[in-house]
Amino acid sequence: MSPSATKERLSPPITATQVQLFIFTVACLAAFVWSWIFLGMSFSGITSSFGDVSRLVKRMVPPDFSNISNVVDATIETVWMAVMGTAGAIVLSFPLALGAARNTSPHPTIRYICRTVISLTRAVPDLVLGAVFVSALSIGPLPGVLALAIHSIGMVGKLFADAIEQAAEAPREATISVGATRRQTTRASILPQAMPSMIATALFRLEINIRASTVLGLVGAGGIGVLIQTSLRSLDYESALGAVAVIFVVVTAVELLSVRIRSAILGDAAALAPSSRHGWFSQRIIARDTRVNRKSFETRALSPPWTWDRMFSTATISGFLLALAVAVLTIDIDWARTVPLMPQIITVFGDLFPPDFTTVRSEMVTGIVESVVIAVIATGLGLLIAVPLSLLAARNIMTKRILSTVTRLVMLAFRGIPELIIAVIFVSAMGLGPVPGTLALTVVTASFSAKLFAEALEEVDAAPREAVLAVGAGKIQEFFASVVPQFMPAFTGHFLYILDVNLRSSTVLGIVGGGGIGFLLLNSMRVLEFQTTGAIVMAIFGIVLAIELIGNWVRQLLR
Amino acid sequence: MQVVNTVADSDVAVKVTSLSKRFPNGTLALDNVSLEVPRGQVLALIGLSGSGKSTLLRTLNGLHAPTGGKVVVQGTDVSTANGKSLRKLRHHIGFVFQQFGLVGRATCMENVLVGSLGSLRGPRLGVRSYPVALRRKALEQLERVGLSEQAFQRADTLSGGQMQRVAIARSLMQEPSVLLADEPVASLDPESANQVLDLILRIAREDGMTVICTLHQVELALGWSDRIVGLRAGQVVLDQMNAQLSQEQVMEVYRATGTPMQFDTESVLQSA
Repeated sequence: MSPSATKERLSPPITATQVQLFIFTVACLAAFVWSWIFLGMSFSGITSSFGDVSRLVKRMVPPDFSNISNVVDATIETVWMAVMGTAGAIVLSFPLALGAARNTSPHPTIRYICRTVISLTRAVPDLVLGAVFVSALSIGPLPGVLALAIHSIGMVGKLFADAIEQAAEAPREATISVGATRRQTTRASILPQAMPSMIATALFRLEINIRASTVLGLVGAGGIGVLIQTSLRSLDYESALGAVAVIFVVVTAVELLSVRIRSAILGDAAALAPSSRHGWFSQRIIARDTRVNRKSFETRALSPPWTWDRMFSTATISGFLLALAVAVLTIDIDWARTVPLMPQIITVFGDLFPPDFTTVRSEMVTGIVESVVIAVIATGLGLLIAVPLSLLAARNIMTKRILSTVTRLVMLAFRGIPELIIAVIFVSAMGLGPVPGTLALTVVTASFSAKLFAEALEEVDAAPREAVLAVGAGKIQEFFASVVPQFMPAFTGHFLYILDVNLRSSTVLGIVGGGGIGFLLLNSMRVLEFQTTGAIVMAIFGIVLAIELIGNWVRQLLR
Repeated sequence: MQVVNTVADSDVAVKVTSLSKRFPNGTLALDNVSLEVPRGQVLALIGLSGSGKSTLLRTLNGLHAPTGGKVVVQGTDVSTANGKSLRKLRHHIGFVFQQFGLVGRATCMENVLVGSLGSLRGPRLGVRSYPVALRRKALEQLERVGLSEQAFQRADTLSGGQMQRVAIARSLMQEPSVLLADEPVASLDPESANQVLDLILRIAREDGMTVICTLHQVELALGWSDRIVGLRAGQVVLDQMNAQLSQEQVMEVYRATGTPMQFDTESVLQSA
């Protein structure tokens, strides 16, 4: 071996992937620094802003619940909107997903069309859809429901299609080989496999839609959001906090419930496994399941036994259907009046074309740049806070149980208030402008991504960790040698996802005065300049598409 | 058959005295185990799954703390060592795992370099963060296990046998005087299994290492080790130099549990 060859082989070869990742990293840092300067951000400014916010929050205490009956009514409407919107999304997504999934799609062209429809619906923010529907159907919960239903297709349809595609191939072949038709095959071999994941997706979307429907009121699409904004504008801070508290309770309760149900349905080992840490209830269920399976052949009934899994899924589905029935019957929608108005939606969408890019060109450019800048800073700052938080929250890293539990509770508390409500509060405290919007988005980003990161950290394989400790490495050495390399792909993936989410969010922050293109968007609709609206929607669409392309590129590098 | 009592203390690599380990959930994994392993011996530890083999290995390098008894490795009392002294001791004990314990996304070279962490201060991330001298040493270890060509290949692109060889190279970085191997070939096909065991044996002889290795396959254990120790329900039920053993005697260890072993259990326990 020649000396030069030895030397070369002591350092890893530089690959094209590494170069591209390096360029991406540098570009991200540069974008952050440039955005920071563009908005004139400073750490002292941030500190004083949080001072403003805490002063406002102090004035909100004690919360005033004298208006509670209105608040509760509005909250119930909010929940029913979310239930109906989610139901609509499931109904619309199911055929689209069957058409979009490789193993069930009847034709490549149909597959392509379905995929396009699914990604198009995701690209327009629900608040923007809400605003458009309000101008067609006038204010009320119906435009909100429609906005939630259409916008949710993007996520629900995609995850349904993924679930269908992930179904194992062998049962399908087996079903085809007994002579089943295409529909029988789908029903018998694919749907049973995809069902748990689909139910979990629907529940997760319900959780998201409850958050979303609390703010749809800001554009007149029903729900509780508008109550908070009105209270803050009339300086009635105590009532505002009363309403925020109710939202907080509902959102947090739904999240806790949905996480439990989802992990049970997805057969999460931690949720059902018999272990000494489990309570009497799951122990008994497992004992019962075992008894059922041990019954002799003759005594077994010819219909499936009511096992824990089956009871759980049935209860979840019938609970949802019951809620849907109550929602349809009691929500304040005048179906007789509004259904004939539906065709107007198409007219309003037609009014968006041809898009007018020229009339308010400079405002549009400023607004869009501002939105991007807000998203970049909120993502960067949010991650800076989220990474240490997630290390505290992950139970396999932070072995002191109390610390991780407290961190989790703090994160949960911040996730309990929808981001636009936080933005409304920040704007009331600091005045109009992009900085309060950015800081509100930062707080939300931090608590959401800390949750994602903590989950990713807990999935890190423990075998290499034990091996590294066995060579005599210290705890910090072990963390860098075995946890960090395993965590990096998840970190980058979540980072791209959060950037994507924040770009969408920052385009609507302007609706509550938090900067960005949202203000111009809402205003153009108020003054009936629908072609300008069309242009702005196109521009938002373009940004979202661009970030998706960048995301795909980086994800493929990390494979 | 008395391998053990006669050796002087300085020649004892591992000395286990009345070791017990009860897990928090109540399982008694090790029940009054005593064992002396002289320097340079290759010892195969056999027994059913759950008989306490893995637990015994893990108490030897302090991955599990014993609930009773004493473990002395290379003159250091593992049961009382903690923090820095435990890390220092671990640095001189190689450990090979059934599931390899490699970071799949990292290169083979980086996985091997991890073995030197005990001699370094502070965290490391990436091959370039290690001193060049250590990188050269890592490459030499990879050469020794026949994988220097794959130095900069990701560990998860290798076959099972290759992964285990990388894991052995990682242990070699520690220049261990004792090598513990927990089912090192249980996840491998027969051909790779033979390669890996031959490699461990060759290195053990070359470097004069003491090896304690748990194995499932009795034929492998017989053909490959100097001495066989059988565990059942946390107790030593067999301890003999394998020159004196027949396959049938060894298979007795795997006999359905429940009845205590009749044949020379007592004499073995007395000797150990």
